[in-house]
Amino acid sequence: MPTLLDLVRSISFLAAMPAVAGLLITAGILVVARDWRLNVIALTVQYFFVVLLLTRQIQMEVAAVKGLIGWLICMVFYLTERRADVLEKPVEGEGPAPAQRWQRWVMSARASFHLLAVILIAVAAYTAALRIPLPETEVPRDITLACYLLAGLGVLLIGISESPMQVGLGLLTFLSGFDLFYVALEPSLAVAGLLGGVSFLIALAAAYLRTVQAAGAAEEGAS
Amino acid sequence: MISGALLLLVLPLAVAGIVYILLRRLSTLAAWLAVGTALALGFAAVTLPLDQPVQAWGGRQIAMGEAVTFLGRELVFEPSDRMAMAFLFFASAGLFSLAWRFAPRSLFFPMGLGLLSLLSATLLVKPLIYAALFLEMAAALSVFALQAEGRAPTRGGLRYLTFTTLALPGVLVTHWLLERYAVTPDETELLTSASILLAISFALLLGAVPFHTWVTAVAGDSLPLAGAFVLTVGNGAVWFLLLDFLETYPWLGSHPLFTPLLSGVGVAMVIIGALLAPAQRRLGSLMGYAALVDSGAALVALGLNSRLGVSLVLLSLSVRPFGLALMAAGLGGLRACGGGGDLVPDDLRGLGWQAPWSTVAVVFGSLSIAGLPISAGFVGRWALCRALAPSSLGTALFLLLASVSVMIGVWRRFSALLMRPRAPEDRSVISLNPGEGWLTAAVVIMVVAASVGVGLFPQVIAPLADSLAGTYTFFIP
Repeated sequence: MPTLLDLVRSISFLAAMPAVAGLLITAGILVVARDWRLNVIALTVQYFFVVLLLTRQIQMEVAAVKGLIGWLICMVFYLTERRADVLEKPVEGEGPAPAQRWQRWVMSARASFHLLAVILIAVAAYTAALRIPLPETEVPRDITLACYLLAGLGVLLIGISESPMQVGLGLLTFLSGFDLFYVALEPSLAVAGLLGGVSFLIALAAAYLRTVQAAGAAEEGAS
Repeated sequence: MISGALLLLVLPLAVAGIVYILLRRLSTLAAWLAVGTALALGFAAVTLPLDQPVQAWGGRQIAMGEAVTFLGRELVFEPSDRMAMAFLFFASAGLFSLAWRFAPRSLFFPMGLGLLSLLSATLLVKPLIYAALFLEMAAALSVFALQAEGRAPTRGGLRYLTFTTLALPGVLVTHWLLERYAVTPDETELLTSASILLAISFALLLGAVPFHTWVTAVAGDSLPLAGAFVLTVGNGAVWFLLLDFLETYPWLGSHPLFTPLLSGVGVAMVIIGALLAPAQRRLGSLMGYAALVDSGAALVALGLNSRLGVSLVLLSLSVRPFGLALMAAGLGGLRACGGGGDLVPDDLRGLGWQAPWSTVAVVFGSLSIAGLPISAGFVGRWALCRALAPSSLGTALFLLLASVSVMIGVWRRFSALLMRPRAPEDRSVISLNPGEGWLTAAVVIMVVAASVGVGLFPQVIAPLADSLAGTYTFFIP
C-alpha cells in the first residue's frame, strides 16, 4: 500500500508552476463566483496546491497538518453554508422562474468586472515577483509569485465584498499567501500551530456571522 | 506551584466556560463572576510579589514572576507588565459591571474573559513577535462579542478582523529582518524596511488615518459595550505592545522620522475626527469619531518623544475607559429602549425621558471622551494641551477645537433626546423604560462619580501613569 510520502512524490511534478497556475485559478474562482458550492470546492483545491508548494519548504508532515487544518476549515464553511441555504431557502413556488434559470450560466457585469480585476492583480503580482523578489535564498521565484498572487487576490476579495463568508475566504487566501512565505523564514512548529489556530478562528468567526445573516434573513422571510 | 503568567492566562478562560453555561439562566451571577474574576486578577497583578511565591488555597503556591513555557515560547510576568495587566483587568471589570445592566445575557461576558486571556498572552509572551499572533486570535474572538443579538452581521467586527490580519505579516516579518540585521549590520536597509513595516502594522492596529474605518464601524454597528472593550482594552494592549517594541528596539524611537510621523498622523486623526464627529447622525458613529480624536491625541503625545509624552499616553489610556464605557452603556440602553435598531435622530426624539440613566451615561461619557472639564478625559487632554502649547500652539488649538467639535455633535443628539414626544397624548405621562431601575441608576451613578472624581482629583491617577512611564527609557532624555 502506498504511503502518504509515495503519493506526494508521485504528484511532486505539480509542485511548481502548475501549482501556481492552480492557485491563480482557484483564487480567481473565489473572487468571481458567488455560488457557495463552487467557492468551497475552490478553497479545498487551493489548500491542496498550497500544501504541494509547502512540501518544498518544510517537512511533509507539517505541510500535511496545515493542509488538514485548511480542509477542516472548508468543512466548516460547507456545513455553515448548507445550514444557511436551508434557512434562506425561499418558500416553494417563490423560486426563480424557469425563464430566469438559464441566466445563471451567463456572466453578469459584476462577475466580468471581478474577472478583469483578477487579471489585473495577476499581472501586478507577476510584475512584483520580478521587480520585488522575496529573498531567493529562502523563497524560490515561483513560490514568490504564488505568495503575491494569493495575497493580492485575498486583499481584492476582502475589498470587494461585505458578505462575511467572502471576507472570510479573502482573509484565509491572504493568510495562505503569507504562510507560503513565512514558513521559509520561521519553520518552527509553534508558529505553524499558532497560524493554524488563527486561520481556524477566522473561519469560525466568518461562519458565525454567516449564520447570523441567514437567521436574520429567515426571520424577515417569516414576518 | 502555579506560575503567575499561567494564572492570568488560564483562569479567565476557565471562568469564561462557566460564565457561558450560566449566562442564560443566571445572568446576574454570570455577570458578577466575570466582574469578580477580572477584579481579582487585577488585584493579583498589582499586589502579589514577583520575586517570592505566595501561599494560596489547598497548600498551593502562586509564583507571579515565574516563567512558563508554551509551545516553546516563554511567558513571563515582569514588573513592567504590572500596570498594563492591571489596566486590562480593571477596565474589563468596569465594562462587565456596566454590561450587567446594559447588555445582560450577551456573549460579551464569556468572550470578554477569553479576550482577556489572549490579550494577557499578547503582553507576556517573549519574543514580542508572537504577540501579533495572539492579538490576531483576540481579534477573531472579538467578532463573537461584537455581534449584537438580533441584528445584521457586524461590519465593524469584520473590519477589525481584516485590519488586524493585514497587520500580522508586518510584525512577524520585522522580527526576521532584525535577526538578519544582527548578522549583517552593514545592510542598513533592513532597518528601514523593518521600520516601515512596523509603522504600517501599528497604524492598522491602532486605527490610524487612513486605516481608521474599523474604529467607526466597530463603534457604530456592534454591541456598544463590546465595541468599547475593543477600543479601550484591545486598543490598550496594542498601545502597550507598541511601547514594548519601542523599548526593545530603541533605534525606532531615535529614527529622524519618528516624531514628525507620529505627530502628523496624530494631528490628521484629530482633524478628521473633529470634522466628521458633528456630522454623524448616529450616536455610535459619533462615539467612533470621538475615539479617533482621542487616539490621535495619544499619538501626538507619543510624538513628544519624552518621558512627559509617554506619561500622557498612559494617562490618556487609563482615563479612556471612563468615557467610552459610559457612552457605550448609554447607547446600549437607548437602543434597547428604542427597539434595538440603529438610532437615527428621529428615533432619539424624547427617548431621554424614557431612559434617563442611559441619557446621563451618554452625556457624561461624551464629556469625558471629548476631554471637557469635570470629567476623567479632561485630565489627559488638558495636560497634553499644556505640554504642547509652548512648542506647538497650533496642535494644542486643534485639540481644543476637536473637543468642542465632538461636544457639538453630542449636543445635537442630546437636544433630540430631551425633546418632548410628538403626539399630544404621549406628552402628559411618559413611562420609564423597565431597564432603567434603581440598580441601573446605582451602576451609572458609581461610574459617573468615578469619572468626575478622577477629573476633579487627577493626583489619584497621574502619579501612577508617571511611575509607569518611568519604566520606559526609549525616548530622548
